[in-house]
Amino acid sequence: MSGALVVFGYTLAVAWSVPVLLSRLTRHGISARLGLAAWLTAMASVLASAGAAVALLAGAAIAGLPRLAEAVCRSVAGRACTPVVYRSAAFEVPLGAAAIAATLTAAVLAWRYGRALQRAGRRTRAHAEVARITGRRLPAKGEWGGGRGMGGGATVVLDAPQRAAYCVPGRPAAIVLTSGALAVLDRDQLGAVLAHERAHLAGRHHLLTSLSRGLAASFPGVPVFTRGPAEVARLAELCADDAAARRTGRPALVAALLAMGTGAAVPAPALAVTSGAVTARVHRLLDPPRRGRRARYGLALTAVTLLLASASGLVIAFAGPFAAALG
Amino acid sequence: MRGFGDLESVIMHMVWDHGSPVTVRELFDELRHERPIAYTTVMSTMDNLHRKGWLAREKDGKAYRYTATASREQYSARLMREALDGGGDTEAVLSHFVAQMGGAESEVLRTVVSRLTRRQPR
Repeated sequence: MSGALVVFGYTLAVAWSVPVLLSRLTRHGISARLGLAAWLTAMASVLASAGAAVALLAGAAIAGLPRLAEAVCRSVAGRACTPVVYRSAAFEVPLGAAAIAATLTAAVLAWRYGRALQRAGRRTRAHAEVARITGRRLPAKGEWGGGRGMGGGATVVLDAPQRAAYCVPGRPAAIVLTSGALAVLDRDQLGAVLAHERAHLAGRHHLLTSLSRGLAASFPGVPVFTRGPAEVARLAELCADDAAARRTGRPALVAALLAMGTGAAVPAPALAVTSGAVTARVHRLLDPPRRGRRARYGLALTAVTLLLASASGLVIAFAGPFAAALG
Repeated sequence: MRGFGDLESVIMHMVWDHGSPVTVRELFDELRHERPIAYTTVMSTMDNLHRKGWLAREKDGKAYRYTATASREQYSARLMREALDGGGDTEAVLSHFVAQMGGAESEVLRTVVSRLTRRQPR
């Protein structure tokens, strides 16, 4: 029982304290890639150690219940209480019910998440098909252009006055640009936009955001999961920025962000939560951190990631035989 | 060189540009000047587009005459609606280059732009 409590305590500590630490370490977007890895590791580690804690608790319950059941049974029924009686009525029924309830809950959560994923996938495929048929291929020019991007994805241009550029994951993936966006971008800036979107596709960022959203929906109130989606989305954006800056240089990317950003339509109030994100990206690109500062943040994030991974590994390795011995 | 999906796009654009109802034969005659293509390929692609709801058709003698069920502009407008004010499943999956911004942030960005252009005029 105490083993289960230790693992449970560790899980709670990580789920509540690590988000605070990681928010602080990733706030400035220094080493976005390591930050993303740290957040994903934190979520995976909480999930894994919570699973281990549940397994341990179940093991402890299985081990402790017969004695409890026997004691209760004897005090009530006296000598009439035989092992057959307390095992069948008091022991197996509640345990079986608890196991069924736990399994059902997990199954419902998984089913709901699977259905949401499926629905999103269907709508995304439909969106991509309409874009592929309605849009015109971006004529291949130089290294950035191309009817075909990475992963067989096409780049299509839609006739629309809005400035928009986005990627649609799937097989094949597509990058969609509007004619409104093309009108404000020069050649280098367009290269930066395409490099940014290709980085999203190559990094499978949509999977990371969708997984973290699924976890947030399944475990409301647990900080590591509720704060995960926004942090993962933000850091994925910065990772894509870094990839684009490496490819086309910072000036082209900053210019593209400003050109695309300043002409944006007046947004709905609901989207105000994202306000500041583009400005933050621009400032980060204009004032890149010094090398020493970057190294410090990188080191800290790597340390957190390794600590989380090894601690949960230990916890799970410890929980397995412990549960088996009790069960 | 070009995939199957590409031909669907080429044919839809031809139908839109054509304006009036068009037969497979007419499009095939236009297409084969641009690329080596079989009549049956054009026919099956248009059949697919009809099955998927992109094209409507009407019997005219022995052949079908095809028209687009919606204009190019209508499809673009629908895509923009889905992509920009979605907020639903689709919005969650699409990765935009820039997020939509509040009025205050647009202002901040505009000042950044003017500062940059003052510093180093292009």
